[in-house]
Amino acid sequence: MALIEQILFPNTFGMELVYSFVIIFCSLIVYFSTKKMYDISKHPGIRYFRISFLFFALAYFFKSFISFLLVFSGFRGLIEFLSVFPGVTTVFLFMYTSTMAIFYLLYSIVWKKTAGEKFLIPLVHALVLVISFGSLLIRSAWVIILLQILLFSFIAIYNYASYRKLSQKKKTGSIHVIYLFLFLFWMLNLSDILIANFSPFFEFLISLVSIGIFLIILYKVTKNVGLN
Amino acid sequence: MVKRDKLEIIKDILKIIKENHGHMKMTPLLRKSNLSSKRFADYKTDLLDREMIFETEDKKKGRQILITPKGMEFLEKYRAIVHFVEEFDL
Repeated sequence: MALIEQILFPNTFGMELVYSFVIIFCSLIVYFSTKKMYDISKHPGIRYFRISFLFFALAYFFKSFISFLLVFSGFRGLIEFLSVFPGVTTVFLFMYTSTMAIFYLLYSIVWKKTAGEKFLIPLVHALVLVISFGSLLIRSAWVIILLQILLFSFIAIYNYASYRKLSQKKKTGSIHVIYLFLFLFWMLNLSDILIANFSPFFEFLISLVSIGIFLIILYKVTKNVGLN
Repeated sequence: MVKRDKLEIIKDILKIIKENHGHMKMTPLLRKSNLSSKRFADYKTDLLDREMIFETEDKKKGRQILITPKGMEFLEKYRAIVHFVEEFDL
């Protein structure tokens, strides 16, 4: 199996680079193509949706930067990587941006229920910054992963409820299914960084499905707003 | 009667002005918008801030509300905005 994987996927970093580039590209197009729509409508949901994809672009940028540093600086594992300043800074930024991306996507669909609570967003920013910093201090990414799993679980429950509600009204609700897959594959993506010697074959599969999910979202966005 | 959301109310106000040749006096606009005076005042301030409408004072016609090109653009893109908001459940 290992030999087959080496033949099929000889350059994991090259694959990671292409994969990250496609997702960053999709996320930035989503962000910039919805600018006009937000400027006209000032709709809070569109605002949070856009910010979410900006954070996704940043998170994938830092993720590929971590891979780049790990490959080209000769570090043996994440612990050694975290002992140098560029390593610790990039991981910190990755933890912060990825959690905020998930939070903003969740908030884009639930903001109506919390409208008027002005301090919620600054509070979440501060909380995620503190947790990301704390995770690095105790040299454990599990706190931030638990936070992301918590957000993910909330989204899963909310999305499932919304999907059922929309199904009853005979509306599609397909975006809720897409969001569920997006978060599921995001969590699998994280395991790629955290688990040493992660199978290149599964890494490839996760990358492929993640790209597919982002392309579907991009298609749905551009179908509505065009590319202007 | 289904409660209108903010986007729909904005669309209704702008549509009323547009269908009245792009300008309208305050009192008939308030009446046709089906809003309370307080809510209408809030929406008026919001639309003025967003530069979708502007106010003029004329000796003959009195105080009038006019729709701006930005307001017209909102009306043109209203359907696309609503479709987008619904599609992504925003």
